[in-house]
Amino acid sequence: MDDEMDKETISDDKQAEAEAALQKKHLSMLERLSKRQQTRSINIEPSTESTSSFLSRFTQLKSSIESRLSESQSISSDPSQLKPHFDKISESISDLEKFVAQSSYFLPSYDVRSSLKTVSDLKRSLENLSSELIPKKKFSFKNKVSKKDSDSVIPESKQPIVPVRDSVQSSESFAARDSPGFRNKFGEVLVGEFSETEVGEFTVSDLDSCEVRIIGCVRALFVHRLKDCRVYVGPVTGSVLIDEVEGCVFAMASHQIRIHRARRSDFYLKVRSRPIVEDCSGMRFAPYCLSYRGIEEDLSCAGLDAETGNWANVDDFRWLRAVQSPNWSILPENERVGTVDISNADSRMEEI
Amino acid sequence: MGLLKIIRKIKRKEKEMRILMVGLDNSGKTTIVLKINGEDTSVISPTLGFNIKTLAYQKYTLNIWDVGGQKTIRSYWRNYFEQTDGLVWVVDSSDLRRLDDCKMELDNLLKEERLSGSSLLILANKQDIKGALSPTEIAKVLNLEAMDKSRHWMIVGCSAYTGEGLLEGFDWLVQDIASRIYMLD
Ligand SMILES: Nc1nc2c(ncn2[C@@H]2O[C@H](COP(=O)(O)OP(=O)(O)OP(=O)(O)O)[C@@H](O)[C@H]2O)c(=O)[nH]1
Ligand SMILES: [Mg+2]
Repeated sequence: MDDEMDKETISDDKQAEAEAALQKKHLSMLERLSKRQQTRSINIEPSTESTSSFLSRFTQLKSSIESRLSESQSISSDPSQLKPHFDKISESISDLEKFVAQSSYFLPSYDVRSSLKTVSDLKRSLENLSSELIPKKKFSFKNKVSKKDSDSVIPESKQPIVPVRDSVQSSESFAARDSPGFRNKFGEVLVGEFSETEVGEFTVSDLDSCEVRIIGCVRALFVHRLKDCRVYVGPVTGSVLIDEVEGCVFAMASHQIRIHRARRSDFYLKVRSRPIVEDCSGMRFAPYCLSYRGIEEDLSCAGLDAETGNWANVDDFRWLRAVQSPNWSILPENERVGTVDISNADSRMEEI
Repeated sequence: MGLLKIIRKIKRKEKEMRILMVGLDNSGKTTIVLKINGEDTSVISPTLGFNIKTLAYQKYTLNIWDVGGQKTIRSYWRNYFEQTDGLVWVVDSSDLRRLDDCKMELDNLLKEERLSGSSLLILANKQDIKGALSPTEIAKVLNLEAMDKSRHWMIVGCSAYTGEGLLEGFDWLVQDIASRIYMLD
């Protein structure tokens, strides 16, 4: 993509200098990022100098927070001191988190991740200590709030306590409305045929040990919470969104495929753009292997007839580096299933 | 703040507007920007960092920042808040399951002081999909009526596929920004 920003013409008055400096800073950040975007997985090695200076500062801040945490017990003899004590620590943790975020541009993603992990561990220790040392009833809302916002950026103690929504319409009432899909099944073969008429969005959720077959085109496919399932789908003209799956096999063709929180699963894909994964592990990828009567027509209608080879160009948002992500691999050819034909809806589930 | 005034001054001269597009991943931000710009939308990968498009719109120059919405990179959004004239929040109206996430992220964004002066356009995208919620329903879920009274906002249903609604939305946004910044012209 031709990402570029026209340099602004800068007027010559003095004040504009400040603007220019700002602009320059911005441009260089921009350049850095767009380079990353263009080169995608090509790693721009950050200078080790800045990484190590980050790490030493980070370690320093971390141990200061830890030592203040360990003082809590002795302070607890004076309960009036405890609250301010915890508030201050919480502030420091939040600063530490900001520091990580600011440094995340040049840090290798491993360091970003481990630093953020440290931050969330510190938050948890603080939370545990404060619920342990501060009389319960006063802070009874604590658990409720912290559960919901466990990975929120704002430290718990700073979360404003909002009353339960009253006039707000919950999205659950909409989720319950009849959108086409297969939900809440165990050990079944679920077949959907959408010849001619293209359905809109289709949802496949909360299935255990099922086989799903979707013949024909859909616009958008949502897959959520599957365990030990096989999911075979014809062309999706928009995107497939997969979240929380484990031990599954997928064969799907789509313009975009986005996979979150998947574990131990195989994906046979045909995809126009690069598939992306986030918070996944044990994933294996192979080319699309599905067949049914008329699939060729459906694929070409959906603009998915050409093989792009993108099934192997997976971007891992948790691992944007040149080195192969540990979270996914190419499925070895001798372990791939052959062509899976789902033309006959009555055919038994074949063993894989 | 002095600096802001200077920036406004420069912008006024160039009739430039800075627009920040955010929203959950998969909501259609990149598709919308390319569609508005008349570009091919048939192959779009999820955005790893961000894209910038500079385009002429009416008599203005829009600098549109399209920032990736995947969870991992949402924390970077804040790096783009500075000097934002218009905020476009894009919603996938067919993704019922993640509407709560969507509301939470929007609420967080609106707490941001650096964005307090910007006009807010909410695009209820993917209206072409059967089963998508209407803009009115989306407004209810997001509880838009409860928004701070000083905020200029508008919700429009649209489809990046058909292009429907996009111009209506951007027309409002550009007019609203213009009436605030370029009042004097
Ligand atoms: N049916 C339909 N699909 C759409 C529409 N807009 C976008 N899409 C599809 O939705 C998917 C996501 O679109 P993108 O533009 O990549 O979404 P994004 O918001 O930029 O996503 P990130 O870059 O990850 O933040 C793509 O498969 C698009 O084809 C629309 O109006 N209707
Ligand atoms: Mg994008």
